[in-house]
Amino acid sequence: MLDRIYPYVVRIAAAVLAVMFLTPIVWMLLLSLTPEGGNLFGGGFHVSMDNYRTVLNQAPIFGWMGNSLVVSAVTTALVLMLASMAAYSFSRIRFPGSRVLFVLFLSAMMIPAEATLIPLYLLMRDFHLLGTRVSLILPAIAGPMGIFILKQFFDGLPKDLEEAARIDGAGFFKIWYRIFLPLSRPALAALGIFTFIGSWNDYVWPLISISDKAYMTITLGLPMFQSSYNQEYALPMTANALAAIPVLIVFLIFQKQIIKGIAFTGGKEM
Amino acid sequence: MASKTLAGNTGSPGSAGGTGSAGASARSPKSSLNRQGWAAGILMVLPYTIFFALFSLIPILYGFRVSFYDWSLLGDKTFIGLQNYTNLFADEEFRSNLFNTVLFTVVSVPLITGVGLLLAVLVNGIRKGQSFLRISFFMPYVLSVSVISSIWVIFLQPYTGLLNKILRGIGLAGGEIFWLADPTLAWASIVMATLWWTIGFVFVLFLAGLQDIPESFYEAAGLEGASRWQTFRYITFPSLSRVTVLVVVLQTIASFKIFGQSKLITGGGPAGATKTVVFSIYENGFQTFQMGYASAIAFVLMLVILAVSLLQTLLLRKLGE
Repeated sequence: MLDRIYPYVVRIAAAVLAVMFLTPIVWMLLLSLTPEGGNLFGGGFHVSMDNYRTVLNQAPIFGWMGNSLVVSAVTTALVLMLASMAAYSFSRIRFPGSRVLFVLFLSAMMIPAEATLIPLYLLMRDFHLLGTRVSLILPAIAGPMGIFILKQFFDGLPKDLEEAARIDGAGFFKIWYRIFLPLSRPALAALGIFTFIGSWNDYVWPLISISDKAYMTITLGLPMFQSSYNQEYALPMTANALAAIPVLIVFLIFQKQIIKGIAFTGGKEM
Repeated sequence: MASKTLAGNTGSPGSAGGTGSAGASARSPKSSLNRQGWAAGILMVLPYTIFFALFSLIPILYGFRVSFYDWSLLGDKTFIGLQNYTNLFADEEFRSNLFNTVLFTVVSVPLITGVGLLLAVLVNGIRKGQSFLRISFFMPYVLSVSVISSIWVIFLQPYTGLLNKILRGIGLAGGEIFWLADPTLAWASIVMATLWWTIGFVFVLFLAGLQDIPESFYEAAGLEGASRWQTFRYITFPSLSRVTVLVVVLQTIASFKIFGQSKLITGGGPAGATKTVVFSIYENGFQTFQMGYASAIAFVLMLVILAVSLLQTLLLRKLGE
């Protein structure tokens, strides 16, 4: 009996849970389309873009998203380049001290970014970088996770290909660029997605570094805009929707790769 | 470009053998090749190493130094030895924040791990519509902490929020619940929001782990007539041990670092009841500008996280045997 109904129980439970998980997002979108004071549950609900117009007039949402996009994209590009170069060297070229250096980087993975907030603040102030978008990019590149993930991937690549290339006279840089990078596209994509999401969501460090509204990222600017709306909720929710919709669209388009990438990077983080 | 010349010089091992290249003279061709290889290797590690030194290594050492000083924002400093660390023990606020953080970790880690595993097991058993379920559970993870916090603040509002409406609708709540006004409920709110936001990550790791378990294991269990629970208990769960250790450790570290949700959902309130360790760093460092004291807190946080990471390494090594 239990065995007969089990598959149905599983399906119903999963469906109910999925609806529960989607509810806050759907509700956010519905609220953003309801003008302040309008009643979502009453009969007179009609779709209106008024909230979107108001929010875009009052806060530089797109400017903040632009900042986030620039910071996250530059961070991701630099991480991919520097980490893959270093990982290739660690995987294929054993120079004296390479092992020690790798272990040093590896142990730095355990250091939480929150532990360096104070010294970073003092250093960035001395470099006159405090409050700039550059200040958000630099510390993010110093994270060693990418090297670790890519080295593991490179270690698994067969040696025949590069040996053939070596015989043809190709040097290490050429092999890295022409053979390793194209072969490790899935690993690079996974790391890229992970890095991009991490940078986009960074909150503590931007909160400390950035004070000028013009340089804020969306993650930082959004709460600042919302803090002036204590009792209302349609406009803050619309700001949420504005910040979320592009991210959700990108997610829905690339969901397969993103979920696979997260599983890959997360699983490699040991 | 440097890369070009290096690429040209490392050459093929074949040609270096007989003709004896000019640069190698007394040394064997092999060691000259090694040396050029080393140069390329070091050059390729160098760019990252510079960033690492400037923005990871130096800050750590600098922070360690600052933690032994009474260090103001403007840089006035007096060496006070271990006093910042000893002051921590007497600091009511810090102790309360540390306690809150530990409590949050103790509650949220098993909860998020358990629910993540449950969702993964449910979804793994469903073929039709699996991708819709995967998307639903994972979607909140791609939103930023600001967005999810604000959604939950509005979601939890008394009178206007959806959660109270639903709870009353299904008869679970009699009157209005003031989620953010009571310390326990405020923590419950943060846990709910964190679960909703981050479960996707845990779920995806478990799902990948489940899909790695060979079908033959289950066929063998089926032949033996194992019940559904026995199959889970003796096949599924042990096969997931590595993933479970990983998830628990990553969640523990993330929980210890909690800040955004508490700052943005409750503002640390009511009356400081939801402040955390990172909150202590933030307030001491950037609101009262006691850089030395804040650095000491940061080092305590780092030690805790180091301990958790080492424990993970040991556990995984043991599982590997």
